[in-house]
Amino acid sequence: MGPGVDSLQSAIEEALSSGDSRIVVDLTEVPMVDSSGIGVLVRFLALAKRAGGSIKLVQPCKFVVQTLRLVGVLNLFEVFDGEDAAVESFA
Amino acid sequence: MPTADHSGNELRELLHLVFPANAGGVSSAADAVSDTLNQLAVPEQKRLEIGLAVQEALVNAVVHGCANDPTKNVTCLMRSDGDGRIFILVRDPGPGFDPDRVPEPKADENLHRDHGRGVYLIRQLMDEVQFEQRGREIRMWKY
Repeated sequence: MGPGVDSLQSAIEEALSSGDSRIVVDLTEVPMVDSSGIGVLVRFLALAKRAGGSIKLVQPCKFVVQTLRLVGVLNLFEVFDGEDAAVESFA
Repeated sequence: MPTADHSGNELRELLHLVFPANAGGVSSAADAVSDTLNQLAVPEQKRLEIGLAVQEALVNAVVHGCANDPTKNVTCLMRSDGDGRIFILVRDPGPGFDPDRVPEPKADENLHRDHGRGVYLIRQLMDEVQFEQRGREIRMWKY
């Protein structure tokens, strides 16, 4: 719940509906992700994979990594230190 | 509702909020909790853990307890004892739920579900969690 989750969901929905299933989410300035945000990430990860792509995470902070690990979904995602590396991984 | 900690020391009231059940209310209440933790100079990791647990409890209260009906109110109390332990209560007027029947979010069949992680996160992030009034009220301690 909240504008952060809403805008994340809108951005991913827009990418998928445009046919872009290779998605990079830059978490550099995200201090915290709650269960709503995690729900959006895992739901759209499944959709992106079904469309032949994926969702890759860039530079999540320590607490976001801890949270994703705590609920057992960290290993579902590839995590990168920089946006370029994440984009190149789709090549 | 506790007015003293486990050793009988009196608790100091830090916050007593009653807010309408909508996203703006959650945001304001979460900000107020965060500001209070900052004023108390709570260490960052502890502050983040409390902040996320409270966010989950507030969202549960609004979405499940109040069905996003802004004519209903959610209560959030925050207290501390002399040893820096933080007590937080979140209460909604809803039908309640059975916290022991919440699915295990780390089970393989639940990993891709888009909901069902809030209560699990609260239990992992806080040191003590109690549900009262058939789930309408959650009481949490962070030591």
